[in-house]
Amino acid sequence: MSLLSWRERLTIPTYDNEEYATTGRLFIDHELCNGCGVCAQICPGKAIEIRGEGREKKAYLEEVFPQCMSCNDCAAICERDAVTAAVAYDFGYYFKKLNRGEFRKPVPY
Amino acid sequence: MDETAVAETPEVAAPSGDDWNPVERVILERRSVRKYKDRQVPENVVRRILEAGRFSPSAGNSQPWKFVVIRDREMIDEMERHVVRWCRLFRFFLDWRSSPLGRLVPWLMAQVSIRVKRNQLHPIPFGAICLIAEGKLKAFHGAPTVILILEDRRGVSRPQVDVGVCGQNMVLAAHSMGLGTCWVGFVELLKYGLKWRRKFGVEFPYRFCEAICLGYPYGRPDGMIEREVMEVDWYEDGAKRSVCQGGKDVTA
Repeated sequence: MSLLSWRERLTIPTYDNEEYATTGRLFIDHELCNGCGVCAQICPGKAIEIRGEGREKKAYLEEVFPQCMSCNDCAAICERDAVTAAVAYDFGYYFKKLNRGEFRKPVPY
Repeated sequence: MDETAVAETPEVAAPSGDDWNPVERVILERRSVRKYKDRQVPENVVRRILEAGRFSPSAGNSQPWKFVVIRDREMIDEMERHVVRWCRLFRFFLDWRSSPLGRLVPWLMAQVSIRVKRNQLHPIPFGAICLIAEGKLKAFHGAPTVILILEDRRGVSRPQVDVGVCGQNMVLAAHSMGLGTCWVGFVELLKYGLKWRRKFGVEFPYRFCEAICLGYPYGRPDGMIEREVMEVDWYEDGAKRSVCQGGKDVTA
């Protein structure tokens, strides 16, 4: 048995179909976030946007098919540790991700 | 035997659960930097980084690379404009969601070209092409220094892999000095048109391959993050087991 079926191997996914593609997902703690916008500036997929005014100024993940690749650069640069990426992207079919699990920090075995 | 000849190698390289050593720390904390300060990197630092590249391993010691260092702000901006122009062209023909050609024709062209260039037109770079064309994302991220790595096609077996190894050496050296780096694959677009090929002298055996942005990072982008755990097949003592790298092993 191969890891991808013939159908999956031959089918190139359409890029914005949420039926079989999952995008990367961020979790932003809005109690910690102060809307400084550094994460939005460095995001390689421009998936984070800053909305609101004054104290309500917070970072949000784009709602319609964000191009988040769960690289976690936003989590690394955030001074307040308000952001974490916890869901990996998977475009399904030919671009399906294999043998990957949940997110963990490096382990000193 | 002469006692001074060889220092004894320690039995255990690193005790289990020990803190990261400095090299591991640089490797684990390296993050791609996409916002730089305007301050130029001193010349001797760039030379040291190139030295790390010169001493990287390659197949058959063929060293199939050539470095081009660009520290000219105007030149980098011009390269940026070139990349944007070509991304716009690709988006015009391939992005069926925004192309003025309508939906059907670009969709068909995209379906054909995606099958021809599957990896180059993976959804992630496809999205990046659109973002660069819209001017939301920068190809060179405004870095003050760009190191272009040209691939020598006469190299042994897989020159592209050697270019990657060499580049990663330089990247890690740069991060150990507190600099920021980012790999830029979009330099490949400079091969279109004669201008940049003439300027950099990119003709056989050389070929555009990758580039590394270099500069002082804005903020503190380096740090340890979470990554997906990974399944590893492990063969030992005549048996196979599956190891969950980064997580808890499931004993079968």
